[in-house]
Amino acid sequence: MDIIGNLLNISLYEGLAYGFVAIGVYITFRVLSFPDLSVDGSFPLGGAVAAVLIINGVNPWLATAAALLSGSIAGLCTALLNTKLRINALLSGILMMVALYSVNLLIMGRANIPLLRQVTVFEQAAGFFKTGPSLSLAIIFIAVLALIILLALNWFLRTEIGLALRATGDNEQMVRGLGGNTDMTTIVGVAISNGLVSLSGALIAQNQGFADVGMGIGMIVMGLASVIIGEGLFRPKGVTAVLLAVFGGTFAYRLFIGIALRLGLPPTNLKLITALLVIAALAIPYMRKKLKGEWVPPAVRM
Amino acid sequence: MSETQSLLQLICVNKAFAAGTTDEVKALDNINLDVNAGDFITIIGSNGAGKTSLLNIIAGVYPPDKGGKIIINNRDITNFIEHKRAQYFGRVYQDPSIGTAAKMTIGENLSLAIARGRSRGLGIATTKRRLTHFREILATLQLGLEDRLNTLVGTLSGGQRQALALVMATISRPSVLLLDEHTAKLDPNTAGIVLTLTENIVSKEKITAIMVTHNMEHALIYGNRLLMMHKGRTIVDLNYQQRRDITVIDLLAAFERASGEQLADDSILLSTSKPSDKN
Amino acid sequence: MNRKAYKLIIMALCLVVVLALPLIGGCTGGGVKVIGISQIVTHPALDATREGIIQGLADMGYVDGDNIQIDYQNSEGDMSLVASIAQQFVTNEVDIIVAIATPNSLAAISAAKGTDIPVVFTAVTDPVGSEMVSSWKSHPNENVTGVSDMIVVSDDIDLITEIVPGVKKLGTLYNAGESNSVFLVEKLNEACDALGIDVVEKTVSTSADVLSAAQSLVGQVDAIWVGTDNTVITAFEALVGVCEDNQIPLFPSDDESIVRGGIGAYSFDYYDIGYQTGEMLAKILAGTSAVEIPVEKGKVISLSVNPVAAERMGVTIPQAIIDRAATVHEK
Repeated sequence: MDIIGNLLNISLYEGLAYGFVAIGVYITFRVLSFPDLSVDGSFPLGGAVAAVLIINGVNPWLATAAALLSGSIAGLCTALLNTKLRINALLSGILMMVALYSVNLLIMGRANIPLLRQVTVFEQAAGFFKTGPSLSLAIIFIAVLALIILLALNWFLRTEIGLALRATGDNEQMVRGLGGNTDMTTIVGVAISNGLVSLSGALIAQNQGFADVGMGIGMIVMGLASVIIGEGLFRPKGVTAVLLAVFGGTFAYRLFIGIALRLGLPPTNLKLITALLVIAALAIPYMRKKLKGEWVPPAVRM
Repeated sequence: MSETQSLLQLICVNKAFAAGTTDEVKALDNINLDVNAGDFITIIGSNGAGKTSLLNIIAGVYPPDKGGKIIINNRDITNFIEHKRAQYFGRVYQDPSIGTAAKMTIGENLSLAIARGRSRGLGIATTKRRLTHFREILATLQLGLEDRLNTLVGTLSGGQRQALALVMATISRPSVLLLDEHTAKLDPNTAGIVLTLTENIVSKEKITAIMVTHNMEHALIYGNRLLMMHKGRTIVDLNYQQRRDITVIDLLAAFERASGEQLADDSILLSTSKPSDKN
Repeated sequence: MNRKAYKLIIMALCLVVVLALPLIGGCTGGGVKVIGISQIVTHPALDATREGIIQGLADMGYVDGDNIQIDYQNSEGDMSLVASIAQQFVTNEVDIIVAIATPNSLAAISAAKGTDIPVVFTAVTDPVGSEMVSSWKSHPNENVTGVSDMIVVSDDIDLITEIVPGVKKLGTLYNAGESNSVFLVEKLNEACDALGIDVVEKTVSTSADVLSAAQSLVGQVDAIWVGTDNTVITAFEALVGVCEDNQIPLFPSDDESIVRGGIGAYSFDYYDIGYQTGEMLAKILAGTSAVEIPVEKGKVISLSVNPVAAERMGVTIPQAIIDRAATVHEK
């Protein structure tokens, strides 16, 4: 059945491309226990930086790398607001998101930058294989990129700094008592996270043919939903498994959306579906425990 | 008294919270303390006496009020913030979940601990060599933890976590070990195990230790020096000779004399056993 | 039930749903052309455009469900869906993609690159500036064409000076995130500069901001003009409310908005733009290549006025204007 195959392919591409956002959200929300909402701003930031550089003649690979860097800087700012100015994490993320909306408009100079006539990383990759750009090629290209990032993160989270980063989200007091600079680990984590989110924005903008100042709206919801669905569906244990599960969750999420579109569900209902999906992913483990008669801990706030 | 060089000195240390308001609390009142290398000091006192504040000030959780100084190894660390001071101190808290990271494995926790005192780099934290080293250390505890290096700490019991916390606090040879009622939340059996462990580690590694306890008997059995605190001041300071023959009742009397009040803290009185054997 | 069985059941359910797709998604029999319509958001003007397209096609002999099949998808403002929808159309090999509004047109063109699926845009103000086609007249390299809703702003401003003589300060609201609007506001400034009118601009990011932005113009301007800005038009009623309460004449630039309470404009009826697009689609279905079809501007510009709305805002439309108007709304 062609339609199914096409849907799976599209969801695969989106699962990988948006997967970076989910990984970024995972690093802040889960690993660092830092609820960073600035994702809605750093995603279009990546698209904006990449687009502006590309239309000004910069090599698309460099432009994409610059986008990643710009995201890291945004993350750095969010973390500084929290660690140095003692603004609480939630507020820091929100403030950055609001600020970035204007910053993105400033960078782009306009609301929407078309990239139809530009050479993007996808086209360069296609040229490398002597074919034209296509969905399959995009999937392979992003899969390779995702693999590289996964390996890098997998290694990083096992280093001493990475360990300190993980522990910061788990037990910050202990880390300080063990000589770890939790301000530094927070900054590193939030910077890496937003860098990945911006990378995603840059890739998506190049593939879809435009960067738009509104392209980040709803990214945080998607990222969180992907992480939660991935955790619920795959129950990963260990760093590597979790990173893979997050990509898997993004794939599942985009697949569900694709199916909903195909079934003719109006996208206004999509937000409802997203909410239901996440609720299901969260509630099912709890329900199972209750049905088995096991004790469940009381409700948590965060 | 003795010729041993002071390892740790607290000079004119005061700490008032909410200073200047009607809620002002003087947690530490003109503390002057010399800790000698090799000391194992037990600290006892009623709630609010300032025991935890003392440990916090030493560890750098908050700075002393103006004029106070904290010196270790002849180095003035008064202005060092907590994580910078961590290189000198190992700390075990009352709550077993504070000293360890629940979502990480035993091996990872130990790797974190072993890096205390030096900057963390990009080398892999849990190397095979380190894990072997950890296994050896954990084996001496005889709690079976050496076979569970890949277990998540959150699944361990309170006593096991505290034992782990103890190892984590001492694995990198701190100058001073700070123990804050670290057996208070454990059942008597486990508490006993952990205390024995503490004694063993302290004597084997020759670590200077300060142990806050709620239990008068423990305060007398363990260590070589006893401090009694009340309302932010040290009112009783007994060295090894003075402690040897004292009983709990004598201690209570000493408290009354020094503070002019009766020691009316139920938890201290109830946590000690009948003072029968000492006589 | 253990974890493995539970996972298997979920996967089976997914498989069932996915297999049911063809029944809904539409496996077409050979010969029936599929037209994918991608719309950015729901609001009356864009909806009218779509209806016009469908009617235009029908009048040329192409009826949905009969000899063509229309696959309509609306991204409801979700940018990630814009690309998804375009991607789906391309991989499902529809015969023509129709995109209503700029972002989804760009996404469709990008997704269709390298294929021979023609893309027809509509309700796009500046297709050349947005790089959809290299020029208005001829675009031999692009399998893209369409109908632009570019309005002649200066005509509107002339109308305003006729109905509100002595207007010195003109306010406008727009979403700086919509490139069509930014383009139009530039034209607004040009037209007003030539007439010595000052322009007071207020930007909004979401429809929820329209009310307060409108209120901030009270007392600052003699009249308000708004272009074809999707964000503002979605909240048009709020704007009308403020203008009526404060007696500020409000001039939109599309006919649907005049029905909703604006005073007058030289505008397109978006239904007409859609109809024009439908006619263009019929040409392509009949065999003309999109490459050869020049981009069109909305053909039917007519003057449309609403004297009742004008009264509510404290001005009277001169009878001469009402007489020359093509449409007079009486609400």
